[in-house]
Amino acid sequence: MTQELLAAALRALSLGAPLLIAAVGAIANERAGVVNLGIEGMMALGALAAFSVAVEGHSPALAVAAALGAGMLAALLHAVVSLTVGANSYVSGLALAMLGSGVAGILGRRYEGFPLLDPVAEEPFLVAAGALAVGLWVFLRFTRPGLVLRSVGESPAAADALGVHVTAVRYGAVAFGGALAGLAGAFLSLSYRPAWTDGMTGGMGWIAVALVIFVGWHPLRAVAGSTFFGLLYYLQFRLQDQGRIPVEAFGAMPYLLVVLALALSGLRKARGSAPAALGIPYRRGER
Amino acid sequence: MQMRKLAIAVLVALSAVSTAAEKEKEQAKEKKLKACFIYVGPVGDLGWSNAHDEARRLAEKAIPGLETQFVEAVPEAQGLPVIDRLVQQGCKVIFTTSFGYMDHTVEAAKKYPDVVFAHATGFKRAPNLATYMADFYQVYYLNGLMAGALTKSGKIGYVGAFPIPELKRHISAFALGARAARPDAVVNVKWINSWFSPPKAREAAEALMVEGNDVLAFTEDTATVVQVAARKKIPSFSHYSPMYRFAPDYVVSGQLVHWEKVYIDFLGKVRDGTYAAGKVKDVDYWWLLKEGAVEMGAQPGMPINPKFTDALKKAQMTVGGKPVAVYDRVMDLLKDMSSPSPKFDPFTGPIKDRNGVERVPAGRHMTVEELNSMQWVAPGVMGPVADEPK
Repeated sequence: MTQELLAAALRALSLGAPLLIAAVGAIANERAGVVNLGIEGMMALGALAAFSVAVEGHSPALAVAAALGAGMLAALLHAVVSLTVGANSYVSGLALAMLGSGVAGILGRRYEGFPLLDPVAEEPFLVAAGALAVGLWVFLRFTRPGLVLRSVGESPAAADALGVHVTAVRYGAVAFGGALAGLAGAFLSLSYRPAWTDGMTGGMGWIAVALVIFVGWHPLRAVAGSTFFGLLYYLQFRLQDQGRIPVEAFGAMPYLLVVLALALSGLRKARGSAPAALGIPYRRGER
Repeated sequence: MQMRKLAIAVLVALSAVSTAAEKEKEQAKEKKLKACFIYVGPVGDLGWSNAHDEARRLAEKAIPGLETQFVEAVPEAQGLPVIDRLVQQGCKVIFTTSFGYMDHTVEAAKKYPDVVFAHATGFKRAPNLATYMADFYQVYYLNGLMAGALTKSGKIGYVGAFPIPELKRHISAFALGARAARPDAVVNVKWINSWFSPPKAREAAEALMVEGNDVLAFTEDTATVVQVAARKKIPSFSHYSPMYRFAPDYVVSGQLVHWEKVYIDFLGKVRDGTYAAGKVKDVDYWWLLKEGAVEMGAQPGMPINPKFTDALKKAQMTVGGKPVAVYDRVMDLLKDMSSPSPKFDPFTGPIKDRNGVERVPAGRHMTVEELNSMQWVAPGVMGPVADEPK
């Protein structure tokens, strides 16, 4: 029994880790008021960057750095389009999701079918995921830069009046979000399933998007949310032949959760838990 | 004046030469045959579409004058528009390589009676529409023998894509093999309801290992299960593509496909006129080990990973009342089923399904049709199976 529980906990943490890492990044940029739906694409680029570096024989640290860089670069593209040019950030993020997955698919052709014979251990990523979540919570709650970031997401005009460079803060937050999406990808291709395949992110980026709403933009709740999600995902297979619950019900669970998350977000918005300026471009002098 | 005449003469001569060259080109074009392929997945993956694409390239090399073209990642509902385009581009033979294209291919065959169509894994034919399949069930039986010999707990795990007849046939053959080598062996199946999903494949494999399964096999388009099993130092069987290099110490064997055998034969017969629009109504390839359309192994040319030879030679089973090494039994049956007239077939009666209902009477084989529509599963297969007759 203990062994069984331990195994389930480990699976929950392992599958939850990429979700948590990506969600923590997304919470940071959404708390600064920028929506980035492109997590799936940034994750794919990060996964490919990490794998291509590792399979050429470089160290895991370099592979992770490449993933952080790839995710960050892709996110900066989103920042330019949505913050500087001022295009609709939802559309730009959607485009990034597709572009990132597509570009990774094309660039990654030469790595298809190659294994990483020395997979990176999962534990460092699990610890990093937890540390990032706690770190972001401390940063947002107890530090002045954290307060600045939140003020930019709640009331950019007021922050601007106090001398905060709103666009610069938002750029930084988006870059951070992208880097973490890339890191989540690195976990997938270096450790969780040490290989590269087109489409290997398998919708995890979208689940991370939903998770952010599900946990109400709270980094610590994201730890619980991602673990819960990982546990359900594992249990759909572990409980499959117990005969009590139909297989299809478990298969539908992730989607039910996403719908639930969206419904919750509707309620939450009414209560005001989302950053007030989320997704609204800021232009000095307008409004 | 003289110069002018000469110039005209030269021009006339030149144009005569060029028309002759063009004529030759045209004749060559007539000799050329254009075959086109529609894939459901990207050609880059390690799975189904990649195997068809490799076969396409081999066929191009083997048949002189053959020109090929392919369209990848075509959603199954988009079959007909893509066929329209290919016909306009001059395709004379069109292969639709996924079951889901069946109805669109039937429709297209009516629309373009002069084009020869061939549909993989389907069962609907027309005067200009043939069907073809390279099936693994014999190989699965042999893999099952090895799995039964290697399991210590008697529990073998199987990650299955969808509970459809193809998988029921394969998993049943696998379980029949496992039980032939070890009568109390069971095959525990987890369904992931997906052809491609590394996270589902991994979590299903993890769950199977937690439940005590110590040998794994699967149907999914990536090497995920092989990699997960290797991390826990558990033997596994590769599926469909060569996956030996993903876990050289732990992959025992597996199934490999050679679609090119079908393509080269088919296109050769189109070329020499044996097959043409109007003549292929009864053409249905159901190719197995005998035709070389499938191979046992995790890598071409290596039927069994040498690391497992000793263990399989030590493992004993009973065949016709006599003890035989599992290794020898596997090799004997492989040789027999690869020969022009095999004596052995895994689905030879009497076979009861897992609920005790007799499905194959004594002394009878299952027909291709029965194999293609098989909804029951063999004894030893554990776990829920959709659409199972009671």
